Amino acid sequence: MALFRKKEIATNEFNQVIVGTSLTKEAWKRLKKNKLAVVGGVIVIIYTLIALCASLLPIYPYDEAITVHRNLRPSLTKTAGDLMLEQEMKNLFFQAWRQGRLELSDEEDAQIEAWVMESKTNQVWDLVYARGMEALEAGSFEWNSSEQSRIDRMLNNIETETQITIDKVSVVYEGKTMNIEDMSYEELRGLYASLLGVDENTLEESLVNEVRSAVSNELRSKDSTLSGEDLDSSVEMEMDALGEDGIHDRASTNIIGYIEQIAQRSANSDIQAMIDSGSMTFPYEGTFDLSNGLHVELEVTKMHERRYIFGTDYLGRDLLSRIIYGSQVSIAVGIVGTVTSIFIGILVGSLAGYLGGKVDYYLMRFVDIMYGLPYMLLVIICMAIFGRQIVNLFFALALVSWLTIARMVRGQIMSLKNQEYVEAARSMGAGTMHIIFKHMIPNSLSIIIVYSTIRIPAFIMQESFLSFLGLGVQAPYASWGSLIGDAVSSMALYPYKLIIPSIVMVIFLFSMNFLGDGLRDAFDPQTKNQL
Amino acid sequence: MTKYIIRRLIGMIPTLFIIITLSFFIVRIAPGGPFDGERALPEAVKRNIEAKYHMDEPLIVQYGRYLFDVVRGDLGPSYKYKDYDVNTLIAVSLPNSVVLGSMAMIVAIIFGVSLGTVAAVRQNTLLDYIPMILAAFGLSIPLFVFAPLLQQIFCMQLGWFPTTGWFMNNGAPLRTAVLPVIALSFAYYADIARLTRSSMVETLRSDYIRTARAKGMKNSTIIFKHAMKGAMLPIVSYLGPAFAGILTGSIVVEQVFLVPGLGKFFVQSSFNRDYTLIVGVVIVYSAILIVMNFIVDIVYAYLDPRISYK
Repeated sequence: MALFRKKEIATNEFNQVIVGTSLTKEAWKRLKKNKLAVVGGVIVIIYTLIALCASLLPIYPYDEAITVHRNLRPSLTKTAGDLMLEQEMKNLFFQAWRQGRLELSDEEDAQIEAWVMESKTNQVWDLVYARGMEALEAGSFEWNSSEQSRIDRMLNNIETETQITIDKVSVVYEGKTMNIEDMSYEELRGLYASLLGVDENTLEESLVNEVRSAVSNELRSKDSTLSGEDLDSSVEMEMDALGEDGIHDRASTNIIGYIEQIAQRSANSDIQAMIDSGSMTFPYEGTFDLSNGLHVELEVTKMHERRYIFGTDYLGRDLLSRIIYGSQVSIAVGIVGTVTSIFIGILVGSLAGYLGGKVDYYLMRFVDIMYGLPYMLLVIICMAIFGRQIVNLFFALALVSWLTIARMVRGQIMSLKNQEYVEAARSMGAGTMHIIFKHMIPNSLSIIIVYSTIRIPAFIMQESFLSFLGLGVQAPYASWGSLIGDAVSSMALYPYKLIIPSIVMVIFLFSMNFLGDGLRDAFDPQTKNQL
Repeated sequence: MTKYIIRRLIGMIPTLFIIITLSFFIVRIAPGGPFDGERALPEAVKRNIEAKYHMDEPLIVQYGRYLFDVVRGDLGPSYKYKDYDVNTLIAVSLPNSVVLGSMAMIVAIIFGVSLGTVAAVRQNTLLDYIPMILAAFGLSIPLFVFAPLLQQIFCMQLGWFPTTGWFMNNGAPLRTAVLPVIALSFAYYADIARLTRSSMVETLRSDYIRTARAKGMKNSTIIFKHAMKGAMLPIVSYLGPAFAGILTGSIVVEQVFLVPGLGKFFVQSSFNRDYTLIVGVVIVYSAILIVMNFIVDIVYAYLDPRISYK
C-alpha cells in the first residue's frame, strides 16, 4: 500500500501500471503511424527551412539579371558558358543546314521541314546540333571564317568576362560610415546629387520620370494592346496608386543601383589591373576604397562559370534562386493568411456562439450573405484597383476566408457552452472574455489548428492564382504562381520554365494535403476521409 | 415546400442588393477613373464626357440611377469598349462560359460519383486506390498548372487537339472543348470522388443497409436504390460552393485555351476601371451563383426527407 501511494499511479488487478494519455498524445501516436502524413510533414519542414534560410544559401541573387544568360536550359554538369556556346552552335548549324553546307539524309531533311512547320524548334536544334557535331568530328563539315570568328569571340568572352557582384557599398556621410541601403530617400538623393555634381531638384524630377517610364514599360509588357491614351491613363493611375512614398521607394532602389554602378565603374580599373597582372584568383572577394569617398565590398567571379541547375528565365535570372525566394513569398502568404483568418474567425465565431440571441442571428446572417458572394471576384477587383502590393494581397485574402472558421468555432463554442467546467467558471465570477479566451478556445484549438493546416494549401493556391493572372506579387519579387504565369507564354520553347516551378509547387501542396489529412484523422478519427 | 421556395426567392433579393452595392462602391472608392488619363483633353471636354455618363453627379445619385437601371435589366454602357453596352458584351461571351462551366461540372459529377462509389464498394483494392490517388493529384495540382501542362502535352507534343479555338465559334470542331473541360473539372472530380467515397462508406455501414442485405437484396439494388440517395447528401451540398469555384476557375481556363468567355472581360475591366462592366460581370456571376445555391437547397430538401421546410 505504501508503494502504491508513493508512485501514485493506478494499477489494475494484474498489477499493471495504467498510464493515462492525453488527447494530444494519443493523436500524436496516431499521426506517427500514418507514414504519408509523416513524410508530408518532413517535406513541409524542409521547404520551410529552405525558404527561411534563402539568404544564407549559396545561390545567386534572385533579381540579378545577366542578359547574355537568357533562357539557358537547366543543366547539372554544364556551365553557363558551355550552354551559351551550345546554343550559338545550334543556331549556326541550323543556318549551315539552310545554306546546304551541313548535309543530312533525305528523311532527316523532311523531318526537319515538318518540325519547322509545326514550330518544334527544340527538336530541330537538337537534331542539327547532334548531326553537326558528328560531321565536325568526322571532318566532313567546317565552319566558314565568319562563323569561326564568332565562335572564337564567344570562347574568348567565356574565358575572360568577369562578373562583379557588389555586396555592400558604404559611405562616410555626416561623419559616420553608413551602408547606402540603410539610408533614407533624402540622404540618398543628396549623396547621388553630390556624386554627379548636379542640383537636387533637377535630379528629383528625372528620378520621378524614371519611375514613370518604368511603370509604363511594366504595363506595356503586361498588356501589349495598351497604347496612346489608354496607356497614359493607366500609367497615371498606377502612379497615383503608388503615392509619394511608393515613388520614393522605387526611386531609392534606382539610386542604390546607380551608386553601385558608379562604385563598380570606379573599382573596375583597379580590378582590371589586378587581372592583367595575374594577381587575382577567382573567385575573388575584397574591399576597395574609391577616390569619390565610397567604400565598396565586392566579389569578382568568372561570369560564364556559373551553373544554373534549374536554368534561367527570360531576363537571365537564376530560376533556382527565384523558386526559393518565391517559396518564401508563397509559404508566407499561406501562413499569414491562415493566421489572420483564424484570428477573425475565432473572434466572430466565439462572440456569436457565446452571446447567442440577436448578436448570433445577425452575425450568422452576415456570414451567410458573404458565403453567397463570388469572393474570388471581389479579391480580383480589390487587387486590380487598390494596387498589387503584397500587403493588399494578404488583406484581400484574409478578408474573405474567415467565414468557415467562424462557423466552425461558433459550433464548437455552442457545444462547450453548457459544459460543467464553463458553468463552474461562470459561477466563480469569471467574465465573458475570460471564459471565451481562457476556457473555450483552448478546448477547441485542436480542431481549429487541424482545419487551418488544411487551409494553407488553399491560400497558396489562391495567391498563385492571382499571381498567375498578374494580380499578385509584382516584379522583381516572385512567387510560384508568378513564375508559372510567366512561363506559360513560352512553354513550347522553354518547357522547363513551366515544369520545374510546377513540380516544386505540386510537391509542397501534396505534402501539405497529406499532412493536413493525417492531422485531421489523428485528432478527429470520426471524420476520417471526409473533406 | 412552396412557401419555402418563395421565401428563398425573396431572400435572394437582399443578397444581390448587397453585392451590387458592395461592388459599385469598391470600384468607385479606388483612385483613378475610366477617363482620368485623357490628359490631352481640355477640362471642358472631360467634363462633358463625364456628364454624358452622369459621372458629374454625386455618388449617391449615380448609385440610385444605376440601381434603377439594373432593376430594368439594363447594365449600362461600357466605358472602355465604346459603342458597346454591357448587356451586349455579356450576352456574347456568357454562353461560352456557361457551357464550359456546366460541361465541366457534369463531367466532374459523373466521374466523381461513379469512381467514388466504386472505391467505397471495393475498399482497399486497386479500384479504390487508383481513383483516390487520382483525386489526391486533383487536390494538389492547381488549375493553372494543370491547364498549361495539358496543353503542352496533348496539343504541342502529341498534337491530338488544336491549341486554340472554341467549338461554339467559327465552326471549330467539338474536340476543342475536351481539354478545357478536363482541366476545369479535374479539381472538382477530386473533391466529389473523395466526398462520395467517405459518405458511401459511412452509409454502407448503417443499419438500414444491413437490413436490406439481411433480406437478401441484390448488391446493385442496395447500392443504387438505398445507399445512393443517402450518400448523395454531402455531395449535393458541396455543389453550391463548387459552382463558385468553377466560375472563377474558368477565368484561368479561358485564358490558357483562349476560350472567348466572360473571364477575360472581368480581369481586363478591373484593370481598365470600366466601372459598369466590372459591376455587370459581378452581378451576372453572383446571380448564377445564387440561383445555383438555391437549386442545390431545393434538391437537398427533396433528397433528405428529414429536413422539412415549414
